[in-house]
Amino acid sequence: MTLLIQNARIASEHAPDLTRGDVLVAAGLIKTIGVGLTAPPGARVIDARGRILMPGMFDAHVHFREPGFETKESIASGSEAAINGGITGVVMMPNTSPAIDSATAVASVLESARRHARIPVLTSGCVTKGRQGKELAALDGMRALGVRMLTDDGDTTADPALLWRAMQYAGEFGMFFASHCELAELAGPRALNEGVTSYRLGIKGSPACAEEIIIDRDIRLAHATGAHIHIQHVSSKLGMETIRWWKSRGDVRVTAEVAPHHLLFTEEDIGDFDTHYKMNPPLRTKADTAALLQGLIDGVFDLIATDHAPHTPFEKSQDFITAPNGVTGLDTALVSLYHHFVAPGVFGWDLLVKRYSAEPRRLMGLPVAVIAEGQPADMLLFDPDAETTFTAQFMQSKSQNTPFLNQTLRGSVDLVLLGAAVLLDR
Amino acid sequence: MPRKDLLDIASLAREEIEHLLDQAIPFKDLFTRSVKKVPALKGKSVLMLFYEASTRTHSSFEVAAKRLSADVTNFAVAHSSITKGESVRETIETLQAMRSDFIIVRHSRAGLPGTIARLTRASVINAGDGAHAHPTQALLDAFTIKEKFPDPSGKRVLIVGDILHSRVARSTSTILKKIGVAVAYLGPGSLVPTTGPENIRRFTNYQEAMAWAPDFVYLLRVQMERQDVQYFPSLREYHRLYGITEARLAEIRARGLYIMHPGPVNRGVELCDAVMDYERSLINDQVENGIAVRMAVLYWLKPQPVAG
Repeated sequence: MTLLIQNARIASEHAPDLTRGDVLVAAGLIKTIGVGLTAPPGARVIDARGRILMPGMFDAHVHFREPGFETKESIASGSEAAINGGITGVVMMPNTSPAIDSATAVASVLESARRHARIPVLTSGCVTKGRQGKELAALDGMRALGVRMLTDDGDTTADPALLWRAMQYAGEFGMFFASHCELAELAGPRALNEGVTSYRLGIKGSPACAEEIIIDRDIRLAHATGAHIHIQHVSSKLGMETIRWWKSRGDVRVTAEVAPHHLLFTEEDIGDFDTHYKMNPPLRTKADTAALLQGLIDGVFDLIATDHAPHTPFEKSQDFITAPNGVTGLDTALVSLYHHFVAPGVFGWDLLVKRYSAEPRRLMGLPVAVIAEGQPADMLLFDPDAETTFTAQFMQSKSQNTPFLNQTLRGSVDLVLLGAAVLLDR
Repeated sequence: MPRKDLLDIASLAREEIEHLLDQAIPFKDLFTRSVKKVPALKGKSVLMLFYEASTRTHSSFEVAAKRLSADVTNFAVAHSSITKGESVRETIETLQAMRSDFIIVRHSRAGLPGTIARLTRASVINAGDGAHAHPTQALLDAFTIKEKFPDPSGKRVLIVGDILHSRVARSTSTILKKIGVAVAYLGPGSLVPTTGPENIRRFTNYQEAMAWAPDFVYLLRVQMERQDVQYFPSLREYHRLYGITEARLAEIRARGLYIMHPGPVNRGVELCDAVMDYERSLINDQVENGIAVRMAVLYWLKPQPVAG
């Protein structure tokens, strides 16, 4: 298939300004970029005037619930939700049932991904068997199948001595550790910030320091062992500042991510027990969202990741305490980030491309998607003037547990190309 | 405008609160008559769904419903194993088929009555959900205070004890502020959250709290069953620091303060025996007033009509 995209404005991670141009894609490669290109015979021509062409996004933190919880999501439905949101690659978390803690489990999900997903679907692996925090998982067996990220996501690896040994052992294989930071004795049992809302609702809260203590603990362990630590879904100001301080020292390999919901919402949005704002780590205060945004702009956060966590309508319709933690994000992330940050000029397209396309791929050791001659086609066409209404029908995830359900936001993912395939064409 | 449900105090307008408190007066007047019953809810059914043990609140609602001539059914859940969310939901679907007009629910999980209210046409009354809300307790407290001070604005109520786990503290402080009464909390630092509303003074020292010059001292029940997680070193130490001892009772008497308590009391912990005989103890008034305000609530709420 040959495709000529005319009059696009092209985004890159390197400059806030968009470059105008025509892009000719043939046989899955970007053949020519120029002005006034002529369409070869038989080529499909798209007039992209007013629209933005950017590299496909990459989400390094998703829950596809396979195996074990396929009523919530599957690799097939989750990867379609990603495509729907302009995301052309993901990393799955291993808190499935059984957990992804062995070469067998890794092989099984990768085989499912090969059969059911139209985008690269990578998986992380557990640090410990069954995410129980007791015995090391089959680390080298997973590495041999391409696993690089180790995490007991959903829980912290509670025993620091075990994590220390895992870092010494697997760090040598080029694997890195991703931490869900939560000191169990101090946190929970509910995903709710300790603050005005926990008081008002009468539910015991989880203080920010329960997260910050483990952020600091795990970076210290990485510092001591020389391993690479990646801090997941940071939700608090002091958590961000802790990472900033460690990065400023320059003697530890630390990366970090922030989730759109932690940038956009606070504990007060929970209102009267709205379970669509219940996730772990919890939403905190306005001071925290402002600090997280500044951390993203300053580069304390290397990447944006959604922590896409689907749950069925029944599960989320239960009372706040019983309902499970998590919100979906793949269908909505790019449009919501555009609507709330890029459109009002809070940050530019370059930040979005760097933090949600380039850096997550670098973290995973993958080639970065770039719109340049000779590169494989991995891109999306975004209309900043159109609107998207996130109806249940629009969502490709099996679940719709998102605050954005039935909201209309500015921006629309119109077209997604990956290699020779048109993954989305709306 | 009548509402379908009563789930908390925060969502009530001041006019609604005043209306309910006014409505409770004629109901209370009934209690001294030889016939205490009115036919207001004749033919209506009230279902009691108590997932947590309760003596006072349960019997108070039952008496209130019967004095309005409603039929009362007890759904025995306290001893059954249905405590999971799924089961609650299935229970409600069963109850819906029974076509109850009112469901009075108590549960240890904050927010559960609201979840039930969304699933049923019946009027749901929250009789206490975790540490979230206990709106009829708040109404009876406000009613009791207004019996002493018909215009209570500017009066001061000191709530003493375990604020952290108390739905009574939350709902009663909310209603008192709505009717112009000032509220302060007193208790151990571990049990008086710093994240409470800004317009509630927070004390951890008894003398400082008394210097605030309250008109009412409202004692909360110390949750004896929560002693597995320590919020203070011992009950003795609690009594010494925050309990109404005989010496403190003498001071309270000298100042003419009223004492309130939602019951049941722990003698020797939050109060000494002598408090029960104190002439300005309103503890028994609270019990009696509870029936009157619950009658007013039942009379006011209107279940969602069946379509067609």
